[in-house]
Amino acid sequence: MSDIATPLLAAKDLSKEFRTGRRETFTAVEGVSFDVHRRQTLGIVGESGSGKSTTARMIARLIDPTSGSVEFQGEEITQHSGASLRDFRSGVQMVFQDPYSSLNPRHTVEEVVSAPLRYQKRTAAGGCRSMVKAAMERVGLNPDHSTRYPRQFSGGQAQRIGIARALIVEPKLVICDEAVSALDVSVQAQVLELLVDLQRERDISYIFIAHDLAVVRQIAHKVAVMQKGRIVEQGPRDEIFDDPQHEYTKALLASVPSIDPRWDAGRRS
Amino acid sequence: MSAHPSRAASDAPVLSVRDLRIEFPLGVVVDGSSFDIARGQTMGLVGESGSGKSMTSLAIMGLLPKEATTTGSARFHGNELLHRSDASMRRTRGDQIAMIFQDPLSSLNPYYTVGFQIAEAYRAHKGGTKAAAMRKAAEAMDRVRIPDAAGRVGHYPHQFSGGMRQRVMIAMALVCEPDLIIADEPTTALDVTVQAQILDLLAEVQEMTQAAMLFITHDLAVVSQISDHVTVMRFGRTVEQGTAEQIFSSPRKDYTRALLAATPRLDDVVDLPEPILTKGGE
Repeated sequence: MSDIATPLLAAKDLSKEFRTGRRETFTAVEGVSFDVHRRQTLGIVGESGSGKSTTARMIARLIDPTSGSVEFQGEEITQHSGASLRDFRSGVQMVFQDPYSSLNPRHTVEEVVSAPLRYQKRTAAGGCRSMVKAAMERVGLNPDHSTRYPRQFSGGQAQRIGIARALIVEPKLVICDEAVSALDVSVQAQVLELLVDLQRERDISYIFIAHDLAVVRQIAHKVAVMQKGRIVEQGPRDEIFDDPQHEYTKALLASVPSIDPRWDAGRRS
Repeated sequence: MSAHPSRAASDAPVLSVRDLRIEFPLGVVVDGSSFDIARGQTMGLVGESGSGKSMTSLAIMGLLPKEATTTGSARFHGNELLHRSDASMRRTRGDQIAMIFQDPLSSLNPYYTVGFQIAEAYRAHKGGTKAAAMRKAAEAMDRVRIPDAAGRVGHYPHQFSGGMRQRVMIAMALVCEPDLIIADEPTTALDVTVQAQILDLLAEVQEMTQAAMLFITHDLAVVSQISDHVTVMRFGRTVEQGTAEQIFSSPRKDYTRALLAATPRLDDVVDLPEPILTKGGE
């Protein structure tokens, strides 16, 4: 056995306060720490207002934390700007919940998917189109449809466009913020499978944020449970699901509706 | 004492839908839907987006847009609901047939107190004084276990949490003691812990009132918990119908089986790639 690797990403004591008035602040996230290794998925679960999306946005540097730090490949990135921020962003991409509102409706799929390349100033002549087509093909879209607009695709296909856009810069970490929540179950299962296949193939790490605990069990190696801005419990997937310690985790798990086990014929064996 | 004489004949279905077909200029959205719901029973109508489940409920309530053409029948205590005048439908809707929708915030008027809105729903159908209606509103809010109901009738929708707002909607649905409750994705927008409470409440309310319920959702697990009978829809057609036990334990159709297989389960263990935890290691 060689040494323990430096985590791909480590969040340390992250907090975020928002001003809500002249003298009032609201603490959305408080003292959140976790790490994610290569080819590993951290699931973050919690109910609305628990701070999971704010956490994701701090990791992606879409908003700045009030305090705490984020290390990516051992390097503190919370102060990055300009070229170093751009470098960081080629390593970290996001996929959002609603593909229609997160993809520009006036841009063709080719423009949407190649946008991160343009931002990265990596538009090698002629290379862009072939990269877009390769990314579309990999996520199961017909590359001949690259001149269509997002609205011409179903919800599941549109989410594949969002995944192709994230993949095109070959990120090491993809943050999925409720990325499958809006999809029908059959489509959801396919997109989850695609995400796992991509992880196996490219050693991608995910931070997978979801309110649906059953979905998180399908994809995450480890799970952090958030409530009111704090992580109340985190650990390996099976420990969290099979032997939860915190009262809130227990309550969450007990609330998940399940198909009556006496009847359940659709269970995978 | 009975405003609903047909309640006596308890074997007759409260709602009976036959060969319901809904067509829009751009196409058919429901093609031949048939089902019955008896007193105290819940029919779960389940399907993915575009299956026609919500269109079915809108047709029953007479809320389809004008360009829709409906054929077939939907009888409530034997009386046809389709093709009735707006005025006649308004008398039934909210009184004998109540509705609960997905998003309580957009179903409630932000400018009026919740007590006023529940009381108005009552007075529109049952008449009486405003004070009496307000007492009914407080009673209904108490029945759905809104804490300090008498004190909260004067509060506005934004002063309630999502779960409490859905309780307000259920109180409004119950205030006229309906024989049929149509619930369209009533727990979809709620957090799981709140969803569990609202599902319990709906089951309890139904036990108490013996109303028939049409429960529409995309979530098979929710359907399995609340339904006596289940109708699976896809692309406007009924794929399969049966008791909840039959649908979930021995589904006959491939589509039902595929839906069940795609539903994630809390205790499913899926093979994932091994994380790389060591330097240069596999």
